[in-house]
Parts: sequence; structure tokens; C-alpha cells
Amino acid sequence: MMELKNKVIIAIFSVLIGIIIATQLKANVEAYVPVTIKSIENTKKEIDIIKNEIQEIEKIIQKREEELEVLKKISAGDEDIIDLFRKELYSNMIASGYVDLEGPGISIKMYDNPSDEIIGFDINDDVIHDVDILNILNDLRVAGAEAISINGERVMPTSEIKCNGPIIRINGRSIGTPFIIKAIGDPQLLMAAVSAPHTYGDMLKNVYQIGFEPKIEERVIIPAYRGELTFEYAKPKGDDS
Amino acid sequence: MVIALIGILIGGVIGFLLPYTYNTTYSLYITIAILACLDSVFGGVRASLENKFNIRVFLSGFFGNSILAAFLAYIGDRLGVPLYYAAIFTFGGRLFDNFAAIRRLILFKNRSI
Repeated sequence: MMELKNKVIIAIFSVLIGIIIATQLKANVEAYVPVTIKSIENTKKEIDIIKNEIQEIEKIIQKREEELEVLKKISAGDEDIIDLFRKELYSNMIASGYVDLEGPGISIKMYDNPSDEIIGFDINDDVIHDVDILNILNDLRVAGAEAISINGERVMPTSEIKCNGPIIRINGRSIGTPFIIKAIGDPQLLMAAVSAPHTYGDMLKNVYQIGFEPKIEERVIIPAYRGELTFEYAKPKGDDS
Repeated sequence: MVIALIGILIGGVIGFLLPYTYNTTYSLYITIAILACLDSVFGGVRASLENKFNIRVFLSGFFGNSILAAFLAYIGDRLGVPLYYAAIFTFGGRLFDNFAAIRRLILFKNRSI
């Protein structure tokens, strides 16, 4: 038999446990997930992303405030609105490719395989095609090229690059080899995009033996687009007139 | 055995009536400590039935085990390794061992009468 003293002691501590359990229940913890290092890292990453977003939004706000400031000046009569529109027009012309541009970048000279020996089974493998040019252009754009020209023809968003026998057609003009592609952008990045191992340019040069000479230049000049951008079918959305 | 259950129930009622709560951050440590305390009480009941009850053993086990268990959980949290599993397995296993012993003692006693 249990002694009375022991019973009392056990009862007291049972009551104590009961109190703790009840307090724990009252705390109403829905589900306990242990905090692991991984979850801390994930949360850190999320916080970083949100901080970046905030910074970007703050930049946008600052920009808009500056614009507002300019407009206020205009309404006060300190600045002429025509000057503002001229500036805007000029920046739009730059963006749309109607202005000669210069800056650091690379130039790539491409020509058909000069050797008499035929590589592969087909003579087509030794010739530059529109696809080759398009792939190189795409690589340059991925690397952040801001303006590109081929043999002095500005590459526009609407520019076609099409095989036309031994020549290619761009902006409605036919050009022949050697093709000189010029691009403005971060020279190291652009160079890497066309000459690093496993890039398309590297494959053209070393597998198909096509003449491919990329070269970093401190000052690349990209001419303006000489044609005109006119839309016959496309209209701004919501403009019914 | 019955005394322990009744005591826990009474304690639960008191706990619900008392207005005190603690920070939910500590809930894991408290839970582990509760497990250790429960094990101690069951051990105490078993020892009483076996007439081996010693108040010093009981008290040191009650507080020592719960503090050690909570400390283990805390250290595990700091290190990123769930060390509190050690406490859960040990005290959970011992809880069932003690309960099994109590059951047999009570059943055996009743049958002998």
C-alpha cells in the first residue's frame, strides 16, 4: 500500500503538472515547426528579395518625383515645355534607333570558310547562313548588347535577316561576305558571349572552320536606321478612329 | 495511480482558471519538460506501489529530468539539430515502461485478494 505521505507528494506534483499542461494548452500553439538553419536561410532570402523590390520601387518613386518637379517648373513658367519635348523626342529617337551611337563594344568579322578543303559532307557547312547570324545576334542580345549593326545596317526590332543565295538581306538591302557585326555593350561580356567554349560562335569557328574574328573595340560606331518605320495594319489598342 | 490522474485533472482546472500565460517561443521546452515530469510522477507511483518510494529520488528526478530535457531542446535549437528527440524517446519509453509496471502491480494485487 502507498503511504499517505507519498500519496500527498505525488498528488501535489500531479497538480503542478496539470497546471503546466493547462497553461501550455491556453497558449494555443497551432503547430510547432522547429526552426532549422535551412528555414532561416530561406527566410533571409525572402527578406532580401523584398528589400530589393522596395529599393526598386523607391527608385521609381524618385524618378516620378523628379518628373513632377520638372512639370511644376514648367507650370510656374521657369522652363519651356518645348525644350522638354525636344529632349523627350531625342531620347525616343535614340531608343528607336534613329541616332548614330558610339561606345565600347566588339566587332565581329565573319566570312565563309576560306580553305579549299571541304569540311563535312556538304558545301553548305562551309558557308555562313542567316541562321548563323541570327544566333550570334541573339547571343549578343543576351549579353546585353544595346545597339547592333551588320555591315553598317542598324539591326532594328523589325529588321529581317534572310538568306538570299550567297548574300543575306537586312533592312531590305542585300549584303555579302565578309559580314561585320558591331555591338555596343560591356565588351568583356559580349566577347564572352560569342567566343567562350560551347557558344555558337566558338562552334562556328572551331567546328565548321568558318572565318569568325571577334575583337574588342574601345569605340564602336553604330549608324542610325536609314529606313522609315510605318505601320499599315498595326494600330494602338483602343484607338478606334 | 488514480491519485496522479486526479491531481493532473485538478491542476488542469486550476491552470485554466489562473490568468498566467508564457511566451509561445518556449512552448517546445515546456512540452519536453512536461514529458519528463510525467515520467517522474509515473515513476513515483510505481515506486510507491513497490514500497521503494524515496522523496529525494523523486524530487531530484522531477526537477532534474525536466530541466535537463528542456536544456537539451534548447541546445538542439541553437545547434540546428533536433536533440529533443533524445528526451522524447527516453522519457516516452520510460513512461510506458512505468505504466506497464503499475498495471501489473495493480492487477496482481487485485487477483491475489
